[in-house]
Amino acid sequence: MAASVSLMAAHAGARRFFGSPSSSFDARKKFRVRADKDGKAMIRKEKNEWKVDYSGEKPATPLLDTINYPIHMKNLSVQELEQLAAELRADVVYTVSNTGGHLSASLGVVELTVALHHVFNTPEDRIIWDVGHQAYSHKILTGRRSRMNTIRQTSGLAGFPKRDESVYDAFGVGHSSTSISAGLGMAVARDLLGKKNHVVSVIGDGAMTAGQAYEAMNNSGYLDSNLIVVLNDNKQVSLPTATLDGPATPVGALSGALTKLQASTKFRKLREAAKSITKQIGGPTHEVAAKVDEYARGMISASGSTLFEELGLYYIGPVDGHNVEDLVTIFQKVKAMPAPGPVLIHIVTEKGKGYPPAEAAADKMHGVVKFDPKTGKQFKSKPSALAYTQYFAEALIQEAEVDDKIVAIHAAMGGGTGLNYFQKRFPQRCFDVGIAEQHAVTFAAGLATEGLKPFCAIYSSFLQRGYDQVVHDVDLQKIPVRFALDRAGLVGADGPTHCGAFDITYMACLPNMVVMAPADEAELMHMVATAAAIDDRPSCFRFPRGCGIGVPLPLNNKGIPLEIGKGRILMGGNRVALLGYGSMVQTCVKAADSLRNYGITPTVADARFCKPLDAELIRTLANEHEILITVEEGSIGGFGSHVSQFLSLNGLLDGHLKLRSMVLPDRYIDHGSPKDQIEEAGLSSRHIAATVLSLLARPKEALHLL
Amino acid sequence: MRCGVILPGASMAPLHLRHRAGASGSGAGALGWTPVKNPGLRAAGLKTRAAVEEGGKVGASFYDLLGISEGGSLEEIKRAYKKMARKYHPDVSPPDLAGEYTRRFIELQEAYETLSDPGRRAMYDRDLARGLQFALSSRRRFDQELEEKAAWRNRWQDQLETLKMRSMQRDSMENLSWGARMRRQRDE
Repeated sequence: MAASVSLMAAHAGARRFFGSPSSSFDARKKFRVRADKDGKAMIRKEKNEWKVDYSGEKPATPLLDTINYPIHMKNLSVQELEQLAAELRADVVYTVSNTGGHLSASLGVVELTVALHHVFNTPEDRIIWDVGHQAYSHKILTGRRSRMNTIRQTSGLAGFPKRDESVYDAFGVGHSSTSISAGLGMAVARDLLGKKNHVVSVIGDGAMTAGQAYEAMNNSGYLDSNLIVVLNDNKQVSLPTATLDGPATPVGALSGALTKLQASTKFRKLREAAKSITKQIGGPTHEVAAKVDEYARGMISASGSTLFEELGLYYIGPVDGHNVEDLVTIFQKVKAMPAPGPVLIHIVTEKGKGYPPAEAAADKMHGVVKFDPKTGKQFKSKPSALAYTQYFAEALIQEAEVDDKIVAIHAAMGGGTGLNYFQKRFPQRCFDVGIAEQHAVTFAAGLATEGLKPFCAIYSSFLQRGYDQVVHDVDLQKIPVRFALDRAGLVGADGPTHCGAFDITYMACLPNMVVMAPADEAELMHMVATAAAIDDRPSCFRFPRGCGIGVPLPLNNKGIPLEIGKGRILMGGNRVALLGYGSMVQTCVKAADSLRNYGITPTVADARFCKPLDAELIRTLANEHEILITVEEGSIGGFGSHVSQFLSLNGLLDGHLKLRSMVLPDRYIDHGSPKDQIEEAGLSSRHIAATVLSLLARPKEALHLL
Repeated sequence: MRCGVILPGASMAPLHLRHRAGASGSGAGALGWTPVKNPGLRAAGLKTRAAVEEGGKVGASFYDLLGISEGGSLEEIKRAYKKMARKYHPDVSPPDLAGEYTRRFIELQEAYETLSDPGRRAMYDRDLARGLQFALSSRRRFDQELEEKAAWRNRWQDQLETLKMRSMQRDSMENLSWGARMRRQRDE
């Protein structure tokens, strides 16, 4: 009885949410999908729209249950496709409510996914999803529905399309704006090999702000190969799509152009005029009408469509992205044409469509943890300490309070980098450049040449995009840009696409860069202050995903600049020295604590700086200890390599010292929980302790630990 | 996007009765007031409607109504609206000027709703530049959306037709693009 009561309550709740449908639609009979004992179904068609009751139970999805692969969708009628879309929505919400992940992006493209798989013949036809976090419904429809409850978890489905996972995932994505380039590559290869399949790239309006998208469109216009680009426009150019005060207004000039495109009344008036003329005169006036069309299209001030046209893509749109019939019609027509060349179909969708809590949320529930499907409320546990990101934002705000030259730059990641807080406090000094890391870096360099103090907050893996700008525009000219590299090291559920493994390597090899990493949140605040104080050369500091450890913070959250090139010793000991860099210092402390049970007291040191190295500290450690182990959460070529280079050049490896560098292994670590990933990488405190024991010629105890 | 709320009285009422009956979520919801059916209103409304049908200027643009510059920020718009609304609210207006003030108030409401929504503001600015001041402002949001969707469908249907025509001639021998050459080769 409880089940039916909750269903009724949810039904009433849904009724309130949805309100009464409009009166200008014809009333149609209700289409019952499933009648339970109360006679009410969870997914049902009312008048003209499909309604879904989000009650927290597994939704009944009779039609979706018959679809295992896209080939099972071929014979569905448009009405059945609409029903399938409603069921898919319910399934996505139910799945993500239990696993966490990206919600609203997938909800916005349910109709698009259904239409694409119905019209095109995957996997021969290729569909490439840009970024890929909207591909949950794609995964459900392509044989992975039963495993959706493992998404983003260790050994489960990846949160983004991955070629190793399924043949239906044509390209691995995670960073944005790569879909058109990849799609063009596949199209050109198809032409060279004489095949006839179709290639569809789905890209969002946010990803369109990146230069690579234009590079790809420019090239595709020139090559004129058959390619379909679907521009999914939901007016969410920045992630996670909200500032602290409400939805983020779109960034950049492109969104203005897209808005104008959607609302060009002048074109319509002209077209009406042309239509009426044709009707009156009849006969060969269709040529006249066509001429009027061409003329009108060029004449409109909707510069967006001419932009795509100038690049060589034929523009179709805007199209209602939630109308399955429209989408299917367009895709079928374009598919049937022999030589359309590159075509851009501009669809307009709403992020989070069909799930009222997502539609109403300021950030549209872009990325969520487990939540209650009835209300959309997320089950966020209250951590004892805040995330490193927040400490960084706090520290930067405090620095900017006393120094008005400090400005912050990010690339469409206001929420992820914590700069939303900075933006709220100093709206004129925070710059969101859209998904354009290359531009962000050189833009910061330009700011710095005029005497400002720019802080570039870009994720470690995303800065890879702007690496040449870091080398050539910043480091070569010794311009004091400060880089705050968030999400350094392993990142958990997002997986290797977002993993910040390489930043120590690629930053520390640059001649003029100061490279540092804090061991805890207090150190992070001091390093923000240090970076602010370094005014003659570029500097960077990295910090991981996750929360602090709960150390006391400096007064007023204002850090004190550290002495450059000076580390510190946390615990004194003998024989064994553990030299950690960054958050690994905490792991070293844990390892040292466990080693005490074996009668070993290692020295634990925090290097703080990878460049310039604390020569004195390292020399002391090398001279006074038998074993030196460096630990970092980065790839080979980073901190450990710099230490070993230093030691070898100074003759410290010629004697008694046993040196081991513990780094991330030479392979990509799959997505999973942070603990599992660290275990997989061999960088947990047990692994460090085991290394020490095996070096001390106590292999049996080492094996016990592992 | 928008919640598709339908207002009572959805028939083709005369212009002055088409104003939103305080049902908007943001904007005029701040005062939570519904327009009073005032006899003075009808006369004023007829005048406005006549002006709209002529397509000419009735005088002030929304910016002039609120007393701000055309490039005003959202903050300025909010402040100006609140100030004006307090002055022209029918409850506080002097009795002999009630009719005129009410009409003003309704106009202010429309101005605020249009200018505070960035999309609608963009459209209004564009129409303003072309001299069609009241064209979009007096339409109800929902009607607008329906019309838009229908317009979109017309537009992409035409675009598909044009593309089809183009694609028939695309691979003629004059087209020397790489793609065209490959398609010709493949079809041989």
